[in-house]
Amino acid sequence: MTKTRPQIAYVIDPRFPGGTSAAVADELAVAAGMGDLAVHAVSSAMFKGRQVAPVLDRALAALGLRLNWDAPAIGGDLVILHNPSFLKFQARLAPRLVARRLVVVTHENFALPGGLPGFDVAACLAQIDAASFAGEKILAPVSPYNRETVAAWCAAHPAAARPWALAGEDWFNICAPGDAAATPRPRDRRGRHSRAGIEKFPPLADLDLSFPESAEANVILGADSLMAAGPLRPHWALFPFHGIEIERYFEMIDFMVYHTAPTLRESFGRVLAEGIAAGKVVIADPDTASVFEGGVIGARPDEVSDVIARHIEATHLYAQQVDRGRAALARFSASRFAAMMAQHLAPAEAAA
Amino acid sequence: MIVVEAGRRDERSLDARLLFAADLAAHGYDAVIDEETVPEALARATRYDAAPYLSARADLAPAAILVIGAEEIGDDTLLTLRDYALPPEVQIAGLGRFASHQARLTAEARLAHATGRTPVIVDLEAEAPGLAPGSVLPLLASAGAAPAAEIPTLALAFGAELLEDPQTLPLLTAMNNLGAMRLRLITTGKAKDQIKGTRYAALPVFSVTELPPAALARGIELLAVLGPGAPGERVAALATALLARGGAVIDSTEEAALAASGAPVLRGPATLAGLPGFAEHTVLPNRAEIARAAEGDPWIARHALPRIAALAGLPAPERSGATAPPARGPRALFVPTNGNGLGHAQRAAQIARALPADLPAGFCAFPSCLPLLNAQGFAAAPLVSPTGAHEADDANDVLNALRLSRALAPGDQLVFDGGYVFTSIFRAIVESGARATWVRRGLWRPGQIAESHLDREKVFDQVIVPGEAFDELNTDLTFGPHIHKVGPIVQAAGAEAPEAMRSALAEALGAAFETLVVSMLGGGVAADRTAQLQTISAALAPRPGAVHVIVAWPGATLPAVLAQWPNTHIVTTLEALPLARAADLVISAAGYNAFHELIYARTPAIFIPQIAPYMDDQERRARAASDRGLALTVLPDELIVLSRAIEGALDHGEGAARARALAELTLPAPGTEDAARLIAERMA
Repeated sequence: MTKTRPQIAYVIDPRFPGGTSAAVADELAVAAGMGDLAVHAVSSAMFKGRQVAPVLDRALAALGLRLNWDAPAIGGDLVILHNPSFLKFQARLAPRLVARRLVVVTHENFALPGGLPGFDVAACLAQIDAASFAGEKILAPVSPYNRETVAAWCAAHPAAARPWALAGEDWFNICAPGDAAATPRPRDRRGRHSRAGIEKFPPLADLDLSFPESAEANVILGADSLMAAGPLRPHWALFPFHGIEIERYFEMIDFMVYHTAPTLRESFGRVLAEGIAAGKVVIADPDTASVFEGGVIGARPDEVSDVIARHIEATHLYAQQVDRGRAALARFSASRFAAMMAQHLAPAEAAA
Repeated sequence: MIVVEAGRRDERSLDARLLFAADLAAHGYDAVIDEETVPEALARATRYDAAPYLSARADLAPAAILVIGAEEIGDDTLLTLRDYALPPEVQIAGLGRFASHQARLTAEARLAHATGRTPVIVDLEAEAPGLAPGSVLPLLASAGAAPAAEIPTLALAFGAELLEDPQTLPLLTAMNNLGAMRLRLITTGKAKDQIKGTRYAALPVFSVTELPPAALARGIELLAVLGPGAPGERVAALATALLARGGAVIDSTEEAALAASGAPVLRGPATLAGLPGFAEHTVLPNRAEIARAAEGDPWIARHALPRIAALAGLPAPERSGATAPPARGPRALFVPTNGNGLGHAQRAAQIARALPADLPAGFCAFPSCLPLLNAQGFAAAPLVSPTGAHEADDANDVLNALRLSRALAPGDQLVFDGGYVFTSIFRAIVESGARATWVRRGLWRPGQIAESHLDREKVFDQVIVPGEAFDELNTDLTFGPHIHKVGPIVQAAGAEAPEAMRSALAEALGAAFETLVVSMLGGGVAADRTAQLQTISAALAPRPGAVHVIVAWPGATLPAVLAQWPNTHIVTTLEALPLARAADLVISAAGYNAFHELIYARTPAIFIPQIAPYMDDQERRARAASDRGLALTVLPDELIVLSRAIEGALDHGEGAARARALAELTLPAPGTEDAARLIAERMA
């Protein structure tokens, strides 16, 4: 008796410009090895007129896959819908989803720090629920903090959450460990990179603490909003989003320092993983850093300069921290992801 | 302090911010707009709208920031909010019309990210949808004094499409002559220009952006809105303001767009022809009942600004309201323009002196007028003269608009003496709700006073036209019951005897004289009078018993060379008339005041008219006298004629002949008392 390969269907709007598309691109290669894979693209109102993310284009091309745009029905043993927030500017999800198990990967936090809703979660999940016929409907958070916001939302909205179960294990981002060697002589060269959104930046006073005049270099990539406000600090080298190659940016720094607006918290923190993979010491706010379990140094902006000074003075600390980062990334490997995904493909192993 | 922001930085949003700031200010809030968020180049009307509310960023100390149009918040606005680095106690509120719950959440999150705090979000679509769908401006009701004019004003708001019907303007003209109502037309700037280009130009038309809606609403009791659909934001704001004051709003739109909103409007005929009858026979008799119903109307209560301010979490207003009456009683505030001389200020002072004792007079005047007014016992608040230092040619007038608005209170009357009604005066009248009188002497040169100048007559309650002494000089510029012609406004001659003045002058000059010649040719603003004064001085120099006195206003500049003539003296004084009355011969320009003072003092004169194209028609005025044998007219370039005229007057008895003619002349009664009476009556 031949064992049939499971049918795996991805449902995405492939025009997400940031971490969602990058995460999906990384996991498609794993999923392709675990079943018959179809990738369905949904034209959402959110990204009308935008292009497919290049990172996804490249991943699909490498796998010899094509996007199936706006299919009326999508079926599979496992249907994975990434980032339900792409439905937030519309009232209906067009395709019918038929699956043994439907997993909705919750890339966006359901709530912002302080308690504001991250987006209209109820409306987005209701669209998916109304469009789907599935044996199990699972919400899969991407990190412990993301899980907290999802669980809190479910608890606060029991009626809206009733169709959904919470995955037992995080649907984490696959992170390549990178092979860049740590510099043996770290210097006070600091940088950060992100999309240009105002939410990605902390208050100016915190930026001043993180990128002081005393530093040898302060490189800010994705600084469109700072550049729009005028030449704020002569000791900052500002570049717009995609203004320089990411490799060039990493050549310019030894420490990556990343804080956001206090009203935002990264749901996973791919940007920090990129810094680790590039062989840098990465410093972020303690909550965001906790995802990487020691691989990222948690520090407030007023603590950053001390942390950097210590790692410059004792260069072995720098090398140890880069190693800790690599070890942290190993927990987000493709093989671990495959194991996690296999759980979802196993009929009897439902979510916790 | 409340900082008013908008989601977008476009023209429409700026207009909405300015109007909303005005609404907040009317409720006692110290509402401001960060000047760094306003484009440097603003439309003329917008500069005036903005001036009261602009604040330097360094001076901002907000208790709250209100972001209107929050359904779409652009990066510029977010960056501004972030750059404020607000202290934690500052409240942020977003007011918008959110198409979905997500749209509301997006606004909430963006404001939170920019300011680091949780904003209050008010969905206007749910809380106070107003009369114009999609309006960025929160269309809220501001309570105000109920309209109570004896003859109510009906305003018609319409778009340019109404003018496509050839019957529109004749119908409007007929409505403008109804005794039961005054008419006011409110339309687009383009449609206003179109009307002003026709023979129906006398219609009182306002462009919808000419004045803020709240100011426009002050003079209106009834508003009829015509057109195919819902009105624009400004007309909607005007209608809302009027409803809140107990006025009547007639929905004459084809689709009943206003009535469909649930607002307490009256559904009226959708055709212009049906409106006069409907307004006069259906609405006017029920005005009191309409005003009473407005007081308890749920739609108005729902749209009340204090209610929405409370929802937005605003603190209590800084003041009890901007319309609190001043501690002083009503007054007549005279505003003379700064002409080429001091005639306007002098005439205004004469009228002010004639006011009843229980009606105080105040003055706002340009610096050139202040010494004269002060000398006559009037304190005056200074206005700002144009300096040429600013790119905008009306920068001084924007400041004057602020000064005048602050100087006026409801119950006051602004009395303007001048030819061109500055925007500052126009706006101050309407925005303050003060009554207004325009003192406008005649004898304009053809084309000198344009139709656009007269357009602003529409905000004056009355126009007082001081007459000319000779009737052929009196012409009508505009017509109507608001035009009041009075006799010449002329300074009465003092009681001092000419002989005493001559003795005092001789003593002051240190030289006895037999012949006194006085020159009053003006301050040299309109034209250089050096040649004429040199000619007069040269003609009088060989006469040992003669003294030549050149009268100069304080501040006037005269060439130093004149002082070198042996018997010529320059006397700086504001009291020229007693000197002139003491003279054997007066050589004078023919401005309104000097001319009439000399004629009424029956002083023989040689008139040298100013003939600059922007002056009144002094030559006609001078010739009216010389044609009657009362004076001699010499044009400025007729210097030889001038020498001979002096000789004829002093040596050949020509001056005596003119004095006899003057003595026999019958003159119209002066109009100063009548002008003062008309102003006083308007205060009642």
